[in-house]
Amino acid sequence: MVASLLIAIPFLGAFAIPLFGLVSKRLSHYVPALALLANLIISIVLIPQVMSAPIIVSIGGWAPPLCINLVVGPLGLLLAILISLIGLLVAIYGVNYIQEEPREKYHMLLLCLLAGGTGMVLTGDIFNLFVFFEILSLSSYALTAYNKDRGGTEAAIKYLIQGSIGSAFILIAIAFLYGLFGTLNMADIASMVGGADPAFLFISLALLIAGFGIEAAIFPLNAWLPDAHSSAPSSVSAILSGIAIETGAYAVARVTYTVFNADGIMTLIAVVGVITLLIGEMSAFRQKEDVKRLLAYSSIGQMGLILFAFGISTQSGVFAALFQLVSHTLAKSLLFLAVGYMIYRVGSKKLSAFAGLGRKMPITGVMIAVAVLSLVGVPPFAGFMSKFSIVRVGLQQHSATYTGLVVLILVATVIEVGYFLRLLQILFFTETETEGKRMELPLSALIPITILAALIVAIGVYPHIITHLLQEAANGLVERSAYIQSVLGAL
Amino acid sequence: MEVLHNSMYYVGAAALILIGLYVILVKRNLIKVIIGIHLLDTGVNVLLISVGYIKGGKAPIFTGTSLGPAQFVDPIPQALVLTAIVIGVGVLALALSITVKVYQHHGTLDLRKIKGLKW
Repeated sequence: MVASLLIAIPFLGAFAIPLFGLVSKRLSHYVPALALLANLIISIVLIPQVMSAPIIVSIGGWAPPLCINLVVGPLGLLLAILISLIGLLVAIYGVNYIQEEPREKYHMLLLCLLAGGTGMVLTGDIFNLFVFFEILSLSSYALTAYNKDRGGTEAAIKYLIQGSIGSAFILIAIAFLYGLFGTLNMADIASMVGGADPAFLFISLALLIAGFGIEAAIFPLNAWLPDAHSSAPSSVSAILSGIAIETGAYAVARVTYTVFNADGIMTLIAVVGVITLLIGEMSAFRQKEDVKRLLAYSSIGQMGLILFAFGISTQSGVFAALFQLVSHTLAKSLLFLAVGYMIYRVGSKKLSAFAGLGRKMPITGVMIAVAVLSLVGVPPFAGFMSKFSIVRVGLQQHSATYTGLVVLILVATVIEVGYFLRLLQILFFTETETEGKRMELPLSALIPITILAALIVAIGVYPHIITHLLQEAANGLVERSAYIQSVLGAL
Repeated sequence: MEVLHNSMYYVGAAALILIGLYVILVKRNLIKVIIGIHLLDTGVNVLLISVGYIKGGKAPIFTGTSLGPAQFVDPIPQALVLTAIVIGVGVLALALSITVKVYQHHGTLDLRKIKGLKW
C-alpha cells in the first residue's frame, strides 16, 4: 500500500495548501517541496522491491480485472522518481521565483500537475490513465496562463482547445475498447486484444495515439507547444518540457506496446519521430529572437528522438528511448530554470539581450553550457550516452529504413549543434557595453540547477547508476506477457 | 431503416461528435469554439452511455432480487460519464475564464485576430 502514497501525498499536499495558507502564507509555499521530497524518498526506497516483482495495488479490495489498480513496475517507478526529482527542484526554485499573486494557487496547481503525472505512469487502468491525464493537462492549461499576460493567455487558450480535442479522442477510444472487451484494465485488455476485430482496434489505437500525441508533441499535433512553453512562467516551462510531454510519450508507448502489441505501426512511429525531430530542430535553428521559444522547439526535436527510439521495437531500443528521456528531462529543466532568472534579470526574452551574460553569471553560465553540450551529445555528459545508444541501436537493426533514419538523426544533430553553439556564443563571447558587475542567481535557483548539472555529469561519466533500472524498465515495456501475468496472476 | 433504428444512439453520438469537431474547426469566434468543445464532449458521453445500454434495461440501482443482472444497463459507463462530465465542466470553466483574460488583452474574440505569438 506504500505505493499508493506516491499519488496520495501530492494530492493531499495540493488540497492542504489553502489550509496552510490560512495559518501562514509563507509556510504554504514550502508544501510542494516537502510533499515531493516525501515522494522521492518513498520511490527510491521502493526500488529494490520493484526490481524483483512489480507491486500491484488493488483499490477497493477487489481483484485486479474488476478494480482500479496501480501497477508499480520498474518503468512506472523510474518515471515517478524522475517526476518527483524534477518536481522537487522546481518547487524549491518556485518559492522565490514566483512573485505574482496568488502564489498559493501556483503551488497547488503545480502539485496537482505532478500528482497527475505520477498517477499516469503508475496506473494500470485505462480510464484512470485518462483521468490522471486530464488532471495533468487541466493544471498545465491553468499554469500556462498563470501570469495572466497577453502571451500566456493566448498560449493557454490554444493549448486548451487542442488538448480538449485530444482528450475527447482518448475518451472515444476508451468507449470503443470498453465496447469490445467489457473491461478497462490495461492488462485484461492486453490479454484479449488478439481475438478482436482489427478495424475497431485500429480506430481506437489511432485515436489513442492522436490524443496522447497532442501532449507528447508528435509532429502534426505540436502547434501548441512552442507558444505554451515560451509564454508560461519559466518554472512551469521546465515542468511542461521536462515532465508533461514525457508522460505523453509514456502513454503512447504504454498503449502501443502493452495494450495493443502493435508491432506493425512501429516503423511508422519511428518515421514520424524523425520527422518531428527534423521539424523541431529546423524551427529552433530559425529562431533568432526568443530564447524560450528556441528551447521549446528543441524540446519538440528531442521528443522526436525519443519516439524514434521507441519505434525500434526491441528491448535495447526502448532502453535507448528511456535513457534519452531521462537525459533530456534533466538538461531541458536545467536550461528553462537557468534562463528563467536570466530573463528576469535582463527584463527581456530576446537572445540579443543575453549577450555576455555567461561572464556576468559564471556559475550559471557553466551550468547552461553543461546542459547544452549534453543535449547536443558531447561526452562526458548524459546526452552523449543516450544519443550514442540510440544511434547504435538504430544501426544494429541492419535495415535500410532504420539506417536512413539514423543518417537523418545525425543531420538533425548538426542543426542542433548550430543553434546551441550560437546560444553559447551569445552567452560567453559577445561583447557588451555594461561589462563587469557580477550578478549571480539567488541560492534557491542555483541549488536546483547545480543538482541537475551534477546529475548530468554523473550519469554521463558513470551511466551504471541508472542503466540497471533503465534495463528493467525497458523489459517491463517490451515483455507484455510478463506484465499481464503480474497483474492478472495476482488474484 | 432497421439498422438505423437499432443503432440510433450511436448515430446520435457520432452526429454530436462530428458537429462539435466541425464547429471547432470552422468557427472563428472563441466562444463558439468552446461551445464546439462542449458538443464534442457531450457526443463522447452519449457514445459511452450507448455502449453500455441494453434495450429496455432498468437503471442500475439494486432494489431487490426480482430482477436479474441481464435486465440492468451496464453501470460502469455511467460511472465513467459522471467522471467525464465533471472533467468537462472543469475544462469549460477554465476555458471561459481564460477567454475573459484573452478578451481583456486583445479586445476581440475573433481567433484570426488573436495572433500575438507567431511561429
